[in-house]
Amino acid sequence: MSTAPEDVQRTVVDFLTLTAKLPEGFSADTPLYAGGAGLDSLETAELSATLEDVHGSDPYSTGEMPQTLGEIQAFYAASGA
Amino acid sequence: MSTDTHEPAAHYDRVMAAWQLLLGDELHYGVFEHGDEPLDVGTAALTSRMIDAADLRPGLRVLDVGCGSGAPARTIAAGFGVEVVGITTSAVGVDTARARTAEAAVGAVTFEQRDGTDNGFDDASFDRVWVMESAHLMRDKDALVAECARVLRPGGRMVLCDLVGHREIGFAEVRERRADFAVLREAFGDAHFASLEGFAALASAHGLDVDRSDDLTSATLPTFDRWRANADAHRDEVVALIGAAGHDAFVRSCDLLEAFWRDGTFGYGLVSATKAPARSSVS
Repeated sequence: MSTAPEDVQRTVVDFLTLTAKLPEGFSADTPLYAGGAGLDSLETAELSATLEDVHGSDPYSTGEMPQTLGEIQAFYAASGA
Repeated sequence: MSTDTHEPAAHYDRVMAAWQLLLGDELHYGVFEHGDEPLDVGTAALTSRMIDAADLRPGLRVLDVGCGSGAPARTIAAGFGVEVVGITTSAVGVDTARARTAEAAVGAVTFEQRDGTDNGFDDASFDRVWVMESAHLMRDKDALVAECARVLRPGGRMVLCDLVGHREIGFAEVRERRADFAVLREAFGDAHFASLEGFAALASAHGLDVDRSDDLTSATLPTFDRWRANADAHRDEVVALIGAAGHDAFVRSCDLLEAFWRDGTFGYGLVSATKAPARSSVS
């Protein structure tokens, strides 16, 4: 799948829905961890693996720790993947 | 990835009946002095350690945070003449604890559906707070210990035993071993471990004087053998309650936890602490 922002958003939203962690009013600026979606370390690792499976790479595996969907989208935009 | 919620109350509601077959009536780990004791002797030994640390005396009011099916609450109420209020976020837990307490005809024990991190009781309304193997199901350990300290009367004691983390697990390791951790989550719910030192530090931070901090990792290790034996002995009943996948996840979790116990990642500990007595006023 492409790394276009809308495709990345679909992957993240699908993941949050599957894990019952999609907050009401979720947006590109909603925190993914405490105070937002509330992902813990295992759920974040699963999101990381899902992004890699779907989009071929993921920001977490490069040592980044994106805080929001927007930062994940920015990773793909910057990498030109 | 399972789509079942692993939120502690929902998980507990789902597995309560099966866990009584797998973990035994007391629903917690055992302490094995010799290594070959049966599970009920080991779980009773852990309860005894908590009792010793709590310094129970007749007439005291005890809050049991995360009371499970109420077995320890009944034990200390019947054995020590204390009044116990057990709380859990699990509705099934409350119903089960009430039913078993009625069957046992034990008085001075009540159960309520409340959250240990925001319990709603008055300040200084208990002489003892008892937290037996429930803290790992509460993400906000600071709020848990703060609430325990808040509801203690001056001179009161908090006793806590639980699974503990002995080392930090980095993100790369969590990602690499996510399948193993997912099995643990499937079997035991959404658990988060603090260190023994972390619990002691929280108690101190909330004004309690820590007087006991016991590492029980080695003494609790035989628990996994006993649980696997129960899983084998009660396979058909457990499968009927939580399915074959649930049964298999439990057995696999025993293997994983035993390995984590042995390699120094996870373990078990007990902490007790006292709230300073009230100062007498001097005129």
